[in-house]
Amino acid sequence: MTPRLTLLAWLLIAGAAIAAPAYIDKLGILSATRIVILALWAVSLNLLLGRTGLVSFAHAAFFGVGAYTVALLWLHLDLPAVLGVPLSVAVGALVAFLTGAVALRAVHLYFSMLTLALSQLLFVIAFVWYDFTQGDNGIHGIDIPDVLRDTAGSYWFVLAVGALGIVALWLVSRSPFGTALQAIRENRQRAAFIGINVRRYELAAFTVAGAFAALAGSLFALFNRSAYPGLMDWTAGAQPIFVILIGGMYEFVGPVLGAMVYVLLEESVTRQTLYSNLVLGAVFLGIVLLRPDGLAGLVRTLAGRMRRSRLAPVADDSLEPHDTDQLEPER
Amino acid sequence: MDLDTLVIQLLAGLTRAGLLFIVSAGLSLVFGAMRVINLAHGSLYMLGAFVASTVVATIGGDWGLFPALVVSAAAAALVGSVIEVGILRRLYRREHLLQLLATFAIVLIISDIVEIVWGTANLSVARPAVLSGSVPILGRPFPTYNLFIIAAALGTGVALTLLLRRTGLGRDIRAAIVDPEMLGGVGVDVPRLFTVVFVIGSALAGMAGAIAAGSGAVGLGMDVEILVQAFAVTIIGGLGSIPGALVGAGIIGVADAFGILFLPRLTLAIIFLAMAIVLAIRPSGLFGLPERT
Repeated sequence: MTPRLTLLAWLLIAGAAIAAPAYIDKLGILSATRIVILALWAVSLNLLLGRTGLVSFAHAAFFGVGAYTVALLWLHLDLPAVLGVPLSVAVGALVAFLTGAVALRAVHLYFSMLTLALSQLLFVIAFVWYDFTQGDNGIHGIDIPDVLRDTAGSYWFVLAVGALGIVALWLVSRSPFGTALQAIRENRQRAAFIGINVRRYELAAFTVAGAFAALAGSLFALFNRSAYPGLMDWTAGAQPIFVILIGGMYEFVGPVLGAMVYVLLEESVTRQTLYSNLVLGAVFLGIVLLRPDGLAGLVRTLAGRMRRSRLAPVADDSLEPHDTDQLEPER
Repeated sequence: MDLDTLVIQLLAGLTRAGLLFIVSAGLSLVFGAMRVINLAHGSLYMLGAFVASTVVATIGGDWGLFPALVVSAAAAALVGSVIEVGILRRLYRREHLLQLLATFAIVLIISDIVEIVWGTANLSVARPAVLSGSVPILGRPFPTYNLFIIAAALGTGVALTLLLRRTGLGRDIRAAIVDPEMLGGVGVDVPRLFTVVFVIGSALAGMAGAIAAGSGAVGLGMDVEILVQAFAVTIIGGLGSIPGALVGAGIIGVADAFGILFLPRLTLAIIFLAMAIVLAIRPSGLFGLPERT
């Protein structure tokens, strides 16, 4: 998308986020809170997926690590659960760093498979270590301050932290570091030739992404007042991936748009039919086949077409390179 | 522990390994030749199990499972060919991620279709009369059906090895595992080859599902359960390697059987720990080729 369009998208998103509670009912605010958490989670994953070209299955595990940080702090140390929010960033970074240090010994699909193995290991730890995590029962009824028990109060808190997280990730992705990650996605070998230590950059990206996924998880634990092993199972990680896919992985704003559409879509589909997987699966399949660059890519193409038709009404389309070809790095 | 307990437990592990091998060999073959991580492989397995339950219910339990093996394999092969031609083929030139996502969408779709057709209740499938008893091994009864599973796995292994080593198709598949572009360059119709490989892999998954139907409950959720274990097997053995799948299945199957005996709660952890250790030492698995960069 052009800078002006991106700015417009952000203004619309920010306006909607701030104005929404005044216009929607309690259930709507709960959905909005879900959207913010999912958006932060997906944006953090997109630092790996869209930015660096790393396919990680471990992102649900880091989300879970964040949720458990909040829950365990309350359960074992009797400390205020809210303290877990900043702490989860550090714990998430540490766990992601260790996971990444092992997983990044491999490349491409082998790397993906290693992240799957390691994240399932984390899942199993949460699942069986009864004394520490209460095992498959999970931890429920986390004590939270009165402000957060209120639907609107909890929304504003989640929105504030979520927005901070997303802005931080935006700063990371537009820094020289973020540009280097993009170079790695485009071509690992060339990136290495111009002096980028590919593995070290990938590990740094993995750590940062894990830290913010944990932040999203800590918000989830506060919002739902619980943490349970199911959060960490690798199939749970499909959610942010689909969010990114819907919104568009090649734009920073994509996953945020995707989170809005995903939650609204999922909630309406679940209300309408028992077989929501069938409908969602078909929708995702359609996106993969027809518009793998997602909503952001669609907007970009439409905007480009409008601009072209304004500048040169009789321009020959066949001479123009297809937008989608430019967007996707060839492997 | 007595010797007979050890042997029986080992045989139980090999039974599990046999089933895992048939599933993983298909997964590994598809990955090796096509570089597609087929998350829907478990779904084809589940589909095979449910189809087998219908076949056995229709023609009777005394010997119904034998034709069910063929029907399930054919059904899975049919669905597999639709997936490959209709969906994956359109995505080969794109990023691997898109194929992965497409197969995940298929997982969701198939699980709901199975639920619509067969419902949510667990089904049980009668074993053929000849295989329903047990044979004494070191004085302990051991289910005949389990020996059948081990034999079926060995048969599959031999058949696949002959296919890969002794036929023109097998030569092409092995070449595709090393370098599909070069294979296309020398005039082989690579898209058609991919379809054939995917259909073979799908048929193996379907047949394995039918075999599994005879040894336990058939239910929703068996797709993801087998998928994760088959991944562990394939990764330990090396993606794209049939001997690797055999060794990997042996390790996971036996670890599973003895894990249940000694550390029942940590069985899953043992599987993934084994996987993480192997990969940390040999990132491309025991028998795998290093990933093309």
